[in-house]
Amino acid sequence: MNVLEARGISKRYGGLAALSDIDLKVGAGEFVAVIGPNGAGKSTLLNVLTGLVMPDDGQVLLDGRVVTRTATHQRIRAGLGRTFQQGRTFNRLTVLENVMTGAAIRRDLGEAALRRTAMAILEQMGLSAEADEAIGSLSYGRRRMVELSRALACGPRILLLDEPAAGLNSGEVDQLADRLSELRAKHGLAVVLIEHNMSMVMRLAERIMVLNFGCRIAEGAPSAIQADPAVLSAYLGEGYVHAGM
Amino acid sequence: MAMRIPLALFAVIMVAGVLLSLVLPEYHLRLLNLSVISAVAVIGLNFAFGYAGLISLGHAAFVGMGAYGLAILTTRYGWSPWSAMPVAVAATAVFAGLIGFPLLRLKGHYLALATLGLNVSFYIVASNWIALTGGTNGIARIPELHIAGRALSGEREFLWFGLLVLAAVAAVASILHVSRHGRAMIAVRDDEIAAEMTGIDATAVKIAAFVLSAICAAIAGCLFACHMRFIAPEDFSYAHSITYLAMLIVGGESSIAGAILGSVLLTFLPEWLRFLGPAYLVLFGILVLGILVFLPKGIVGLARFTPKPPKLAAPTPVPTPEAGS
Repeated sequence: MNVLEARGISKRYGGLAALSDIDLKVGAGEFVAVIGPNGAGKSTLLNVLTGLVMPDDGQVLLDGRVVTRTATHQRIRAGLGRTFQQGRTFNRLTVLENVMTGAAIRRDLGEAALRRTAMAILEQMGLSAEADEAIGSLSYGRRRMVELSRALACGPRILLLDEPAAGLNSGEVDQLADRLSELRAKHGLAVVLIEHNMSMVMRLAERIMVLNFGCRIAEGAPSAIQADPAVLSAYLGEGYVHAGM
Repeated sequence: MAMRIPLALFAVIMVAGVLLSLVLPEYHLRLLNLSVISAVAVIGLNFAFGYAGLISLGHAAFVGMGAYGLAILTTRYGWSPWSAMPVAVAATAVFAGLIGFPLLRLKGHYLALATLGLNVSFYIVASNWIALTGGTNGIARIPELHIAGRALSGEREFLWFGLLVLAAVAAVASILHVSRHGRAMIAVRDDEIAAEMTGIDATAVKIAAFVLSAICAAIAGCLFACHMRFIAPEDFSYAHSITYLAMLIVGGESSIAGAILGSVLLTFLPEWLRFLGPAYLVLFGILVLGILVFLPKGIVGLARFTPKPPKLAAPTPVPTPEAGS
């Protein structure tokens, strides 16, 4: 069964079709990337999937259960996780407290267990040295890693990442890609990745969906997408050759 | 370990308060009583405003509901204050939950205005529902509190009881602060959508913070009624709500120590400035403004070693073998 499925999602803002009849299926442990130019509707799609935006049409299913009208926090409790393009942390809490807030999704954990769980995740993400730091003292890239750690602390089965590499330096991007591979290998985590960094997308994704003006213009394996004339003209650019090819 | 800060807070309040109660003259004891009562209310406001970021300008209405609840049950129905108190507090909490549901859909300035409206409505109802509240004449002859057959009639005896209540409320508040519930409130204030994204039901957290703040307010109201033994609608006008907010901000929002210090300072300051006559308001205003400009974190920002917002109780790092699971 698909962990996450979107069927015929449409969303209009006035005269603008942000999403038109979009289908998306993500199986357990699958890594799907959604790419496309700015304004193609990628973030709107994540907003619909997480319940921040109600679609005009279509359905969202989590483990085969319709959640189109379900509140965001309930979808998260059902195994969905997400990070934001802007990197949204709780800035009056420390790094550790941020991650503990995520871990607190498990109501049976006491304070000591929450701290242990959060600390283990920080260690996995290479943030344990900064555990007691205020968020404000971290670099933008580290802050985004805190947000990712917090999302992981919720124990998701599928994680939606909105441009996680934006604003990171190349070393941090590699680190992030490594962590994501590890997480998939270890926990069978499914991922939907929105990203402009093509080397990261091509390295990680098993399947790519390309959006343009709210429509799906292509979907398939990375190698097929790189050769697709519609994708090349709309997004990648004619003459795109992936560095790793 | 986790109980260290709440216990310390409890002890500091009791020791400092009792010492002061032994040296201060009667009139200052009265002011200290009023400070303690305000502090209980302001710790409540800290839940709504300091933690969850809900700007409430209607806090005095909840203080009034507690006070009127106790006054009506004792004077009209002959209840003892001890049995009237929990009923008045519970009724206020239920009302806050019911009104919070529609009210907390509003944010920022809209919420501030709506809560202000709630306070004005309370004043109008309390002034005009003469059969129940005595209208602007208020309710007199509220019975005094008795403990073990002894009446808390003097300022000093009442202060000891008030300190006990304040210390208990402060300890509970500080336990909550470092718990998952406290973090959830702070998370909702910092970023409501991100909070939802960690599985927090933001609406439920906001209502809980609002109800908690109303419970503290109602406790303060009950104390006020038993202390003054006379209440009238003017005691709970919106101006008092603004004073509570000023106490919290001057003391240091998000801080329990700040809530207490702000309450004491803003209760005593008008008295200290009494020699200025009517000009005192000017200096009062300038002083408050000065604190806001130069101490944006309030008085607690002055001393970094004060138990500001009590951070995580255990600063020691978690041993690695445990964490490596």
